Amino acid sequence: MRRMLRLHRIFVAQYMKNLMEYKVDFLTGAISFLLGQVIQIAFLGIIFSGIPNLVGWEFNEILFIYGFSLIPKGLDHLLFDNLWSVGYFIVRKGDFDKYLTRPINSLFYVICEKFCVDAFGELLIGLILMVYSMIQLKLTITWYMIPLFIVAVVFATLIYTAIKIATSAISFWTKASGHITHMFYMTNDFSKYPTTIYNKFVRTFITYIVPFAFTAFYPASYFLTGENPLFCIGGTVIASVVLFMISVFIWNKGIKAYESAGS
Amino acid sequence: MRFKKFIRTYRPFTRAGMLESVAYRANFFCFLIGEIMSCFIMFFVWKAVFQSSNSETFMGFTMEDMVVYLFITFLTGYLTYSDGTYAIATEIRDGSIAMRMIKPCSFDMCFLFQELGNKIINVLFIFAPLVVGVEAYRWYITGACQFDITHFLLYVVSLVLAYLISFYFNVSYGFMAFYLKNLWGADILKECIINFLSGATIPLAFMPEALAKVLNFLPFSSLSYTPVMIYMGMYSGQEIALKILMQVFWLSVMVVLSKVVWNHAVKRLCSQGG
Repeated sequence: MRRMLRLHRIFVAQYMKNLMEYKVDFLTGAISFLLGQVIQIAFLGIIFSGIPNLVGWEFNEILFIYGFSLIPKGLDHLLFDNLWSVGYFIVRKGDFDKYLTRPINSLFYVICEKFCVDAFGELLIGLILMVYSMIQLKLTITWYMIPLFIVAVVFATLIYTAIKIATSAISFWTKASGHITHMFYMTNDFSKYPTTIYNKFVRTFITYIVPFAFTAFYPASYFLTGENPLFCIGGTVIASVVLFMISVFIWNKGIKAYESAGS
Repeated sequence: MRFKKFIRTYRPFTRAGMLESVAYRANFFCFLIGEIMSCFIMFFVWKAVFQSSNSETFMGFTMEDMVVYLFITFLTGYLTYSDGTYAIATEIRDGSIAMRMIKPCSFDMCFLFQELGNKIINVLFIFAPLVVGVEAYRWYITGACQFDITHFLLYVVSLVLAYLISFYFNVSYGFMAFYLKNLWGADILKECIINFLSGATIPLAFMPEALAKVLNFLPFSSLSYTPVMIYMGMYSGQEIALKILMQVFWLSVMVVLSKVVWNHAVKRLCSQGG
Protein backbone atom coordinates (compact mmCIF):
# COMPACT_ATOMS: atom_id res chain seq x y z
CA MET A 1 0.00 0.00 0.00
CA ARG A 2 2.79 2.43 0.91
CA ARG A 3 4.56 1.59 -2.29
CA MET A 4 1.38 2.28 -4.23
CA LEU A 5 0.93 5.68 -2.60
CA ARG A 6 4.52 6.62 -3.35
CA LEU A 7 4.13 5.56 -6.97
CA HIS A 8 0.92 7.53 -7.18
CA ARG A 9 2.73 10.69 -6.05
CA ILE A 10 5.43 10.24 -8.67
CA PHE A 11 2.87 9.72 -11.42
CA VAL A 12 0.93 12.82 -10.38
CA ALA A 13 4.08 14.93 -10.42
CA GLN A 14 4.92 13.69 -13.93
CA TYR A 15 1.45 14.47 -15.14
CA MET A 16 1.53 17.99 -13.73
CA LYS A 17 4.72 18.73 -15.64
CA ASN A 18 3.00 17.57 -18.81
CA LEU A 19 0.07 19.86 -18.09
CA MET A 20 2.16 22.94 -17.38
CA GLU A 21 3.48 22.76 -20.92
CA TYR A 22 0.31 24.47 -22.10
CA LYS A 23 -0.62 26.71 -19.17
CA VAL A 24 -2.89 29.21 -20.89
CA ASP A 25 -4.78 26.41 -22.53
CA PHE A 26 -5.32 24.66 -19.24
CA LEU A 27 -6.57 27.80 -17.51
CA THR A 28 -8.99 28.54 -20.34
CA GLY A 29 -10.38 25.03 -20.01
CA ALA A 30 -10.84 25.30 -16.27
CA ILE A 31 -12.55 28.69 -16.47
CA SER A 32 -14.84 27.55 -19.29
CA PHE A 33 -15.90 24.62 -17.22
CA LEU A 34 -16.90 26.89 -14.34
CA LEU A 35 -18.77 29.09 -16.79
CA GLY A 36 -20.71 26.09 -18.10
CA GLN A 37 -21.82 25.17 -14.58
CA VAL A 38 -22.89 28.74 -13.84
CA ILE A 39 -25.06 28.72 -16.97
CA GLN A 40 -26.69 25.44 -15.90
CA ILE A 41 -27.51 26.91 -12.51
CA ALA A 42 -28.85 30.10 -14.07
CA PHE A 43 -31.14 27.87 -16.11
CA LEU A 44 -32.45 26.21 -12.95
CA GLY A 45 -33.00 29.70 -11.54
CA ILE A 46 -35.05 30.70 -14.57
CA ILE A 47 -37.20 27.57 -14.30
CA PHE A 48 -37.88 28.22 -10.63
CA SER A 49 -38.79 31.85 -11.23
CA GLY A 50 -41.97 30.52 -12.86
CA ILE A 51 -42.96 27.82 -10.36
CA PRO A 52 -43.11 27.65 -6.53
CA ASN A 53 -41.56 24.17 -6.34
CA LEU A 54 -40.68 21.20 -8.52
CA VAL A 55 -42.91 18.26 -7.54
CA GLY A 56 -42.55 19.28 -3.89
CA TRP A 57 -38.85 20.19 -3.92
CA GLU A 58 -37.94 23.81 -3.59
CA PHE A 59 -35.13 25.62 -5.40
CA ASN A 60 -32.54 25.35 -2.63
CA GLU A 61 -33.18 21.64 -2.19
CA ILE A 62 -32.63 21.07 -5.92
CA LEU A 63 -29.41 23.12 -5.66
CA PHE A 64 -28.27 20.88 -2.81
CA ILE A 65 -28.91 17.71 -4.84
CA TYR A 66 -27.17 19.27 -7.84
CA GLY A 67 -24.18 20.28 -5.72
CA PHE A 68 -23.99 16.87 -4.10
CA SER A 69 -23.97 15.17 -7.51
CA LEU A 70 -20.85 17.11 -8.48
CA ILE A 71 -18.76 15.83 -5.56
CA PRO A 72 -18.50 12.11 -6.42
CA LYS A 73 -18.40 12.99 -10.10
CA GLY A 74 -15.52 15.38 -9.47
CA LEU A 75 -13.60 12.92 -7.29
CA ASP A 76 -13.89 10.22 -9.92
CA HIS A 77 -12.80 12.72 -12.56
CA LEU A 78 -9.84 13.82 -10.45
CA LEU A 79 -8.46 10.36 -9.70
CA PHE A 80 -9.68 7.88 -12.29
CA ASP A 81 -9.93 9.79 -15.54
CA ASN A 82 -7.39 7.71 -17.45
CA LEU A 83 -9.92 4.87 -17.77
CA TRP A 84 -11.50 6.84 -20.59
CA SER A 85 -8.30 6.58 -22.62
CA VAL A 86 -8.29 2.78 -22.27
CA GLY A 87 -11.59 2.52 -24.09
CA TYR A 88 -10.90 5.29 -26.56
CA PHE A 89 -7.37 4.59 -27.77
CA ILE A 90 -4.89 2.83 -25.47
CA VAL A 91 -6.08 -0.66 -26.41
CA ARG A 92 -6.79 0.20 -30.04
CA LYS A 93 -3.30 1.56 -30.59
CA GLY A 94 -1.71 -1.44 -28.91
CA ASP A 95 -0.31 0.68 -26.09
CA PHE A 96 -1.84 -1.47 -23.39
CA ASP A 97 1.14 -3.88 -23.47
CA LYS A 98 3.03 -1.31 -21.45
CA TYR A 99 0.70 -1.75 -18.48
CA LEU A 100 0.96 -5.52 -18.51
CA THR A 101 4.74 -5.68 -18.56
CA ARG A 102 5.33 -3.56 -15.44
CA PRO A 103 5.50 -5.09 -11.98
CA ILE A 104 2.37 -3.38 -10.67
CA ASN A 105 -1.31 -4.16 -10.95
CA SER A 106 -2.51 -3.08 -14.40
CA LEU A 107 -5.72 -1.48 -13.15
CA PHE A 108 -3.85 0.52 -10.53
CA TYR A 109 -1.23 1.62 -13.05
CA VAL A 110 -3.83 2.82 -15.57
CA ILE A 111 -5.73 4.68 -12.90
CA CYS A 112 -2.86 6.61 -11.36
CA GLU A 113 -1.14 7.62 -14.57
CA LYS A 114 -3.33 10.69 -14.84
CA PHE A 115 -4.44 13.24 -12.28
CA CYS A 116 -7.08 15.56 -13.62
CA VAL A 117 -6.67 18.88 -11.88
CA ASP A 118 -9.54 20.40 -13.85
CA ALA A 119 -11.86 18.35 -11.63
CA PHE A 120 -11.25 20.89 -8.87
CA GLY A 121 -13.75 23.07 -10.73
CA GLU A 122 -16.48 20.47 -10.23
CA LEU A 123 -15.57 19.95 -6.58
CA LEU A 124 -15.46 23.67 -5.88
CA ILE A 125 -18.83 24.40 -7.48
CA GLY A 126 -20.35 21.38 -5.74
CA LEU A 127 -19.14 22.54 -2.34
CA ILE A 128 -20.27 26.13 -2.89
CA LEU A 129 -23.73 24.98 -3.95
CA MET A 130 -24.09 22.64 -1.00
CA VAL A 131 -22.95 25.18 1.58
CA TYR A 132 -25.07 27.95 0.05
CA SER A 133 -28.22 25.85 -0.08
CA MET A 134 -27.67 24.51 3.44
CA ILE A 135 -27.49 28.06 4.78
CA GLN A 136 -30.58 29.06 2.84
CA LEU A 137 -32.50 26.02 4.07
CA LYS A 138 -31.18 26.44 7.63
CA LEU A 139 -30.33 22.73 7.75
CA THR A 140 -29.19 21.48 11.13
CA ILE A 141 -26.16 19.24 11.03
CA THR A 142 -25.87 16.55 13.65
CA TRP A 143 -22.47 15.02 14.39
CA TYR A 144 -23.19 11.62 12.85
CA MET A 145 -24.07 13.20 9.53
CA ILE A 146 -20.42 13.99 8.84
CA PRO A 147 -19.14 10.40 8.80
CA LEU A 148 -22.29 9.39 6.91
CA PHE A 149 -21.56 12.08 4.34
CA ILE A 150 -18.00 10.84 3.87
CA VAL A 151 -19.21 7.24 3.50
CA ALA A 152 -21.85 8.29 0.97
CA VAL A 153 -19.36 10.30 -1.10
CA VAL A 154 -16.68 7.60 -1.14
CA PHE A 155 -19.07 4.86 -2.21
CA ALA A 156 -20.85 7.11 -4.69
CA THR A 157 -17.49 7.86 -6.32
CA LEU A 158 -16.88 4.13 -6.53
CA ILE A 159 -20.12 3.74 -8.52
CA TYR A 160 -18.75 6.07 -11.19
CA THR A 161 -15.39 4.33 -11.22
CA ALA A 162 -16.91 0.86 -11.34
CA ILE A 163 -19.04 1.76 -14.35
CA LYS A 164 -15.98 3.15 -16.12
CA ILE A 165 -13.87 0.08 -15.29
CA ALA A 166 -16.51 -2.35 -16.52
CA THR A 167 -17.25 -0.51 -19.75
CA SER A 168 -13.64 0.24 -20.65
CA ALA A 169 -12.75 -3.42 -20.02
CA ILE A 170 -15.04 -4.26 -22.94
CA SER A 171 -12.31 -2.87 -25.18
CA PHE A 172 -10.12 -5.89 -24.33
CA TRP A 173 -12.48 -7.88 -26.51
CA THR A 174 -13.61 -5.25 -29.01
CA LYS A 175 -10.46 -3.05 -29.18
CA ALA A 176 -12.43 0.17 -28.56
CA SER A 177 -15.28 0.88 -26.17
CA GLY A 178 -15.00 4.57 -25.35
CA HIS A 179 -18.42 5.23 -26.78
CA ILE A 180 -19.99 2.54 -24.62
CA THR A 181 -18.46 4.20 -21.58
CA HIS A 182 -19.82 7.52 -22.81
CA MET A 183 -23.30 6.06 -23.20
CA PHE A 184 -23.41 4.71 -19.65
CA TYR A 185 -21.64 7.70 -18.16
CA MET A 186 -24.17 10.14 -19.58
CA THR A 187 -26.87 8.42 -17.50
CA ASN A 188 -25.40 10.18 -14.46
CA ASP A 189 -27.22 13.38 -15.42
CA PHE A 190 -30.48 11.69 -14.44
CA SER A 191 -29.32 11.73 -10.82
CA LYS A 192 -29.21 15.52 -10.59
CA TYR A 193 -32.98 15.72 -10.23
CA PRO A 194 -35.42 13.99 -7.86
CA THR A 195 -36.23 10.51 -9.16
CA THR A 196 -39.91 11.23 -8.61
CA ILE A 197 -40.02 13.29 -11.82
CA TYR A 198 -39.23 10.24 -13.98
CA ASN A 199 -41.53 7.47 -15.10
CA LYS A 200 -41.30 4.01 -13.59
CA PHE A 201 -38.99 2.60 -16.23
CA VAL A 202 -36.34 5.30 -15.84
CA ARG A 203 -36.60 5.18 -12.07
CA THR A 204 -36.03 1.40 -11.98
CA PHE A 205 -33.19 1.74 -14.47
CA ILE A 206 -31.21 4.36 -12.53
CA THR A 207 -31.86 2.67 -9.18
CA TYR A 208 -31.23 -1.00 -9.89
CA ILE A 209 -29.50 -1.37 -13.26
CA VAL A 210 -27.11 1.56 -13.64
CA PRO A 211 -27.45 2.82 -10.06
CA PHE A 212 -26.51 6.45 -10.65
CA ALA A 213 -29.47 7.56 -8.53
CA PHE A 214 -27.34 6.49 -5.55
CA THR A 215 -24.59 8.93 -6.51
CA ALA A 216 -26.71 11.98 -5.82
CA PHE A 217 -30.45 12.00 -5.30
CA TYR A 218 -30.83 9.20 -2.73
CA PRO A 219 -27.98 10.18 -0.39
CA ALA A 220 -28.71 13.91 -0.82
CA SER A 221 -32.38 13.38 -0.02
CA TYR A 222 -31.39 11.71 3.24
CA PHE A 223 -29.34 14.74 4.28
CA LEU A 224 -32.23 17.01 3.33
CA THR A 225 -35.09 15.14 4.98
CA GLY A 226 -33.45 12.72 7.42
CA GLU A 227 -35.74 9.96 6.16
CA ASN A 228 -34.87 6.44 4.98
CA PRO A 229 -31.20 6.35 6.03
CA LEU A 230 -31.06 2.59 5.51
CA PHE A 231 -32.10 2.75 1.88
CA CYS A 232 -30.38 6.03 1.00
CA ILE A 233 -26.95 5.46 2.55
CA GLY A 234 -26.99 1.68 2.92
CA GLY A 235 -28.23 1.35 -0.64
CA THR A 236 -25.35 3.48 -1.88
CA VAL A 237 -22.82 1.26 -0.11
CA ILE A 238 -24.36 -1.99 -1.33
CA ALA A 239 -24.89 -0.81 -4.92
CA SER A 240 -21.34 0.43 -5.17
CA VAL A 241 -19.68 -2.62 -3.61
CA VAL A 242 -21.64 -5.03 -5.81
CA LEU A 243 -20.96 -2.99 -8.93
CA PHE A 244 -17.28 -2.63 -8.12
CA MET A 245 -16.86 -6.36 -7.61
CA ILE A 246 -18.55 -7.09 -10.92
CA SER A 247 -16.40 -4.54 -12.72
CA VAL A 248 -13.10 -5.86 -11.33
CA PHE A 249 -14.22 -9.35 -12.34
CA ILE A 250 -14.89 -8.14 -15.89
CA TRP A 251 -11.56 -6.30 -15.98
CA ASN A 252 -9.63 -9.41 -14.92
CA LYS A 253 -11.48 -11.56 -17.45
CA GLY A 254 -10.69 -8.95 -20.06
CA ILE A 255 -6.98 -8.92 -19.27
CA LYS A 256 -6.91 -12.68 -19.87
CA ALA A 257 -8.68 -12.27 -23.21
CA TYR A 258 -6.53 -9.34 -24.28
CA GLU A 259 -4.50 -9.67 -27.43
CA SER A 260 -2.28 -6.81 -28.41
CA ALA A 261 -3.58 -4.76 -31.31
CA GLY A 262 -0.04 -4.45 -32.66
CA SER A 263 0.79 -1.86 -35.25
CA MET B 1 -16.60 23.22 -67.19
CA ARG B 2 -15.02 24.72 -64.13
CA PHE B 3 -17.90 23.50 -62.05
CA LYS B 4 -17.41 19.96 -63.34
CA LYS B 5 -13.75 20.06 -62.44
CA PHE B 6 -14.65 21.40 -59.02
CA ILE B 7 -17.00 18.51 -58.35
CA ARG B 8 -14.48 15.99 -59.68
CA THR B 9 -11.80 17.35 -57.38
CA TYR B 10 -13.82 17.28 -54.19
CA ARG B 11 -16.16 14.29 -54.62
CA PRO B 12 -13.58 11.81 -53.29
CA PHE B 13 -13.43 13.78 -50.04
CA THR B 14 -17.17 13.39 -49.55
CA ARG B 15 -16.87 9.68 -50.24
CA ALA B 16 -14.07 9.38 -47.71
CA GLY B 17 -16.16 11.22 -45.12
CA MET B 18 -19.09 8.87 -45.69
CA LEU B 19 -16.94 5.77 -45.43
CA GLU B 20 -15.33 7.12 -42.30
CA SER B 21 -18.60 7.57 -40.46
CA VAL B 22 -20.00 4.23 -41.61
CA ALA B 23 -16.85 2.44 -40.49
CA TYR B 24 -17.56 3.16 -36.84
CA ARG B 25 -21.33 2.69 -36.81
CA ALA B 26 -21.52 0.99 -33.41
CA ASN B 27 -19.59 3.87 -31.85
CA PHE B 28 -21.81 6.32 -33.63
CA PHE B 29 -25.00 4.82 -32.21
CA CYS B 30 -23.65 4.51 -28.68
CA PHE B 31 -22.56 8.13 -28.82
CA LEU B 32 -25.95 9.17 -30.13
CA ILE B 33 -27.85 7.32 -27.38
CA GLY B 34 -25.66 8.98 -24.76
CA GLU B 35 -26.31 12.42 -26.21
CA ILE B 36 -30.03 11.99 -26.72
CA MET B 37 -30.36 10.91 -23.09
CA SER B 38 -29.92 14.53 -21.99
CA CYS B 39 -32.96 15.45 -24.11
CA PHE B 40 -35.01 12.91 -22.22
CA ILE B 41 -33.79 14.21 -18.87
CA MET B 42 -34.92 17.69 -19.85
CA PHE B 43 -38.20 16.22 -21.11
CA PHE B 44 -38.93 14.83 -17.64
CA VAL B 45 -37.79 18.05 -15.97
CA TRP B 46 -40.18 20.08 -18.13
CA LYS B 47 -42.99 17.62 -17.48
CA ALA B 48 -42.47 18.14 -13.76
CA VAL B 49 -42.31 21.92 -14.27
CA PHE B 50 -45.65 21.96 -16.06
CA GLN B 51 -47.12 19.68 -13.40
CA SER B 52 -45.96 22.03 -10.65
CA SER B 53 -47.06 25.20 -12.37
CA ASN B 54 -50.65 26.39 -12.30
CA SER B 55 -50.84 27.57 -15.88
CA GLU B 56 -50.78 25.77 -19.20
CA THR B 57 -47.87 27.81 -20.50
CA PHE B 58 -44.44 28.67 -19.21
CA MET B 59 -43.20 32.05 -20.46
CA GLY B 60 -45.27 31.59 -23.59
CA PHE B 61 -44.28 27.97 -24.27
CA THR B 62 -46.67 25.05 -23.86
CA MET B 63 -45.40 21.60 -22.90
CA GLU B 64 -45.79 20.52 -26.50
CA ASP B 65 -43.73 23.53 -27.69
CA MET B 66 -41.05 22.67 -25.17
CA VAL B 67 -40.73 19.10 -26.41
CA VAL B 68 -40.43 20.25 -30.01
CA TYR B 69 -37.90 22.86 -28.92
CA LEU B 70 -35.78 20.30 -27.03
CA PHE B 71 -35.57 17.70 -29.75
CA ILE B 72 -35.31 20.04 -32.73
CA THR B 73 -32.58 22.00 -30.94
CA PHE B 74 -30.74 18.74 -30.37
CA LEU B 75 -31.15 17.80 -34.03
CA THR B 76 -30.03 21.23 -35.23
CA GLY B 77 -27.04 21.23 -32.91
CA TYR B 78 -26.06 17.78 -34.08
CA LEU B 79 -26.33 18.55 -37.77
CA THR B 80 -24.66 21.95 -37.62
CA TYR B 81 -21.82 20.67 -35.47
CA SER B 82 -18.52 21.10 -37.23
CA ASP B 83 -15.34 19.34 -36.30
CA GLY B 84 -13.15 21.91 -38.07
CA THR B 85 -11.52 23.33 -34.94
CA TYR B 86 -10.40 20.00 -33.64
CA ALA B 87 -9.30 18.63 -37.01
CA ILE B 88 -7.24 21.72 -37.84
CA ALA B 89 -5.72 21.94 -34.37
CA THR B 90 -4.66 18.29 -34.54
CA GLU B 91 -3.10 18.74 -37.95
CA ILE B 92 -1.20 21.79 -36.75
CA ARG B 93 0.01 19.93 -33.69
CA ASP B 94 1.30 16.88 -35.51
CA GLY B 95 2.47 18.81 -38.54
CA SER B 96 0.36 17.02 -41.16
CA ILE B 97 -1.05 20.41 -42.18
CA ALA B 98 2.06 20.83 -44.31
CA MET B 99 0.85 17.94 -46.49
CA ARG B 100 -2.45 19.66 -47.09
CA MET B 101 -0.77 22.88 -48.13
CA ILE B 102 1.17 21.30 -50.95
CA LYS B 103 -1.92 19.69 -52.51
CA PRO B 104 -3.63 21.39 -55.45
CA CYS B 105 -6.91 21.93 -53.68
CA SER B 106 -8.30 24.55 -51.39
CA PHE B 107 -7.76 23.96 -47.71
CA ASP B 108 -11.24 24.75 -46.43
CA MET B 109 -13.02 23.02 -49.31
CA CYS B 110 -11.28 19.72 -48.48
CA PHE B 111 -12.60 19.89 -44.96
CA LEU B 112 -16.04 21.03 -46.04
CA PHE B 113 -16.55 18.21 -48.52
CA GLN B 114 -15.19 15.61 -46.16
CA GLU B 115 -17.57 16.71 -43.46
CA LEU B 116 -20.40 16.78 -45.96
CA GLY B 117 -20.01 13.03 -46.43
CA ASN B 118 -20.31 12.62 -42.70
CA LYS B 119 -23.43 14.81 -42.64
CA ILE B 120 -25.14 12.80 -45.39
CA ILE B 121 -24.91 9.71 -43.18
CA ASN B 122 -26.16 11.68 -40.16
CA VAL B 123 -29.15 12.98 -42.07
CA LEU B 124 -30.07 9.45 -43.16
CA PHE B 125 -29.93 8.01 -39.65
CA ILE B 126 -31.05 10.83 -37.37
CA PHE B 127 -32.96 13.47 -39.24
CA ALA B 128 -35.93 11.41 -40.39
CA PRO B 129 -36.45 9.42 -37.16
CA LEU B 130 -36.30 12.51 -34.96
CA VAL B 131 -38.60 14.63 -37.10
CA VAL B 132 -41.11 11.77 -37.42
CA GLY B 133 -40.90 11.15 -33.67
CA VAL B 134 -41.49 14.78 -32.78
CA GLU B 135 -44.40 15.08 -35.20
CA ALA B 136 -45.95 11.84 -33.95
CA TYR B 137 -45.75 13.19 -30.41
CA ARG B 138 -47.38 16.46 -31.45
CA TRP B 139 -50.14 14.57 -33.25
CA TYR B 140 -50.73 12.37 -30.22
CA ILE B 141 -50.92 15.32 -27.80
CA THR B 142 -52.98 17.75 -29.85
CA GLY B 143 -55.04 15.25 -31.80
CA ALA B 144 -54.23 16.83 -35.16
CA CYS B 145 -51.31 16.83 -37.53
CA GLN B 146 -49.17 19.91 -36.85
CA PHE B 147 -46.66 19.34 -39.60
CA ASP B 148 -46.26 22.39 -41.83
CA ILE B 149 -44.41 21.75 -45.07
CA THR B 150 -43.47 25.42 -45.75
CA HIS B 151 -42.00 25.84 -42.30
CA PHE B 152 -40.20 22.55 -42.69
CA LEU B 153 -38.63 23.54 -46.01
CA LEU B 154 -37.63 26.95 -44.68
CA TYR B 155 -36.15 25.15 -41.69
CA VAL B 156 -34.00 23.05 -44.01
CA VAL B 157 -32.75 26.20 -45.80
CA SER B 158 -31.98 27.86 -42.49
CA LEU B 159 -30.32 24.67 -41.23
CA VAL B 160 -27.95 24.53 -44.21
CA LEU B 161 -27.02 28.19 -43.68
CA ALA B 162 -26.50 27.51 -39.97
CA TYR B 163 -24.19 24.62 -40.79
CA LEU B 164 -22.10 26.75 -43.15
CA ILE B 165 -21.82 29.53 -40.56
CA SER B 166 -20.76 26.96 -37.98
CA PHE B 167 -18.24 25.46 -40.39
CA TYR B 168 -16.52 28.75 -41.24
CA PHE B 169 -16.62 29.86 -37.64
CA ASN B 170 -14.92 26.63 -36.60
CA VAL B 171 -12.31 26.92 -39.33
CA SER B 172 -11.45 30.44 -38.20
CA TYR B 173 -11.33 29.28 -34.63
CA GLY B 174 -9.18 26.29 -35.52
CA PHE B 175 -6.59 28.59 -37.09
CA MET B 176 -6.07 30.01 -33.62
CA ALA B 177 -4.08 26.86 -32.99
CA PHE B 178 -1.42 28.48 -35.17
CA TYR B 179 -0.92 30.89 -32.30
CA LEU B 180 -1.88 28.81 -29.26
CA LYS B 181 -0.44 25.44 -30.36
CA ASN B 182 -2.94 23.51 -28.25
CA LEU B 183 -6.67 24.03 -28.39
CA TRP B 184 -8.09 21.78 -25.69
CA GLY B 185 -9.13 24.58 -23.34
CA ALA B 186 -10.13 26.99 -26.06
CA ASP B 187 -12.37 24.30 -27.54
CA ILE B 188 -14.25 23.83 -24.27
CA LEU B 189 -14.65 27.60 -24.03
CA LYS B 190 -16.07 27.70 -27.55
CA GLU B 191 -18.64 24.95 -26.87
CA CYS B 192 -19.72 26.62 -23.66
CA ILE B 193 -20.09 30.07 -25.18
CA ILE B 194 -21.89 28.82 -28.25
CA ASN B 195 -24.33 26.71 -26.25
CA PHE B 196 -25.24 29.70 -24.15
CA LEU B 197 -25.27 32.47 -26.75
CA SER B 198 -27.09 30.42 -29.39
CA GLY B 199 -30.00 29.73 -27.07
CA ALA B 200 -29.38 25.98 -27.11
CA THR B 201 -29.20 25.67 -23.31
CA ILE B 202 -31.71 28.37 -22.40
CA PRO B 203 -34.24 29.52 -25.02
CA LEU B 204 -33.58 33.19 -25.78
CA ALA B 205 -37.23 33.92 -25.04
CA PHE B 206 -36.60 33.03 -21.37
CA MET B 207 -33.76 35.50 -20.97
CA PRO B 208 -34.07 39.12 -19.79
CA GLU B 209 -35.39 41.16 -22.68
CA ALA B 210 -32.33 43.37 -23.19
CA LEU B 211 -29.98 40.38 -23.25
CA ALA B 212 -32.25 38.47 -25.64
CA LYS B 213 -32.25 41.46 -28.02
CA VAL B 214 -28.46 41.57 -28.13
CA LEU B 215 -28.13 37.81 -28.54
CA ASN B 216 -30.67 37.82 -31.33
CA PHE B 217 -28.43 40.13 -33.27
CA LEU B 218 -25.16 38.23 -32.67
CA PRO B 219 -24.14 35.46 -35.10
CA PHE B 220 -24.70 32.71 -32.51
CA SER B 221 -28.48 32.82 -32.62
CA SER B 222 -28.20 32.05 -36.34
CA LEU B 223 -26.62 28.73 -35.42
CA SER B 224 -29.50 27.15 -33.58
CA TYR B 225 -32.26 29.46 -32.41
CA THR B 226 -33.26 30.80 -35.83
CA PRO B 227 -33.80 27.43 -37.53
CA VAL B 228 -35.60 26.00 -34.51
CA MET B 229 -37.98 28.95 -34.23
CA ILE B 230 -38.71 28.69 -37.94
CA TYR B 231 -39.53 25.00 -37.54
CA MET B 232 -41.85 25.75 -34.65
CA GLY B 233 -43.65 28.42 -36.63
CA MET B 234 -42.84 31.11 -34.08
CA TYR B 235 -41.93 33.69 -36.75
CA SER B 236 -44.15 35.47 -39.25
CA GLY B 237 -43.27 35.46 -42.97
CA GLN B 238 -41.56 38.83 -42.74
CA GLU B 239 -39.54 37.83 -39.70
CA ILE B 240 -38.41 34.63 -41.41
CA ALA B 241 -37.13 36.60 -44.41
CA LEU B 242 -35.27 38.96 -42.10
CA LYS B 243 -33.74 36.15 -40.05
CA ILE B 244 -32.55 34.25 -43.11
CA LEU B 245 -31.02 37.42 -44.54
CA MET B 246 -29.21 37.85 -41.28
CA GLN B 247 -27.88 34.31 -41.56
CA VAL B 248 -26.60 35.08 -45.06
CA PHE B 249 -24.94 38.21 -43.70
CA TRP B 250 -23.18 36.33 -40.91
CA LEU B 251 -22.15 33.57 -43.28
CA SER B 252 -20.37 36.06 -45.53
CA VAL B 253 -18.69 37.65 -42.50
CA MET B 254 -17.43 34.24 -41.37
CA VAL B 255 -16.15 33.31 -44.83
CA VAL B 256 -14.19 36.56 -45.10
CA LEU B 257 -12.91 36.17 -41.55
CA SER B 258 -11.64 32.66 -42.22
CA LYS B 259 -9.76 33.84 -45.31
CA VAL B 260 -8.16 36.74 -43.45
CA VAL B 261 -7.11 34.58 -40.54
CA TRP B 262 -5.76 31.89 -42.86
CA ASN B 263 -3.67 34.37 -44.85
CA HIS B 264 -2.26 35.85 -41.70
CA ALA B 265 -1.71 32.57 -39.88
CA VAL B 266 -0.01 30.72 -42.69
CA LYS B 267 2.85 33.20 -42.57
CA ARG B 268 3.76 32.14 -39.10
CA LEU B 269 3.15 28.45 -39.50
CA CYS B 270 5.50 26.51 -37.32
CA SER B 271 4.37 22.92 -37.12
CA GLN B 272 5.32 20.83 -34.17
CA GLY B 273 6.99 17.65 -35.30
CA GLY B 274 5.77 15.74 -38.35
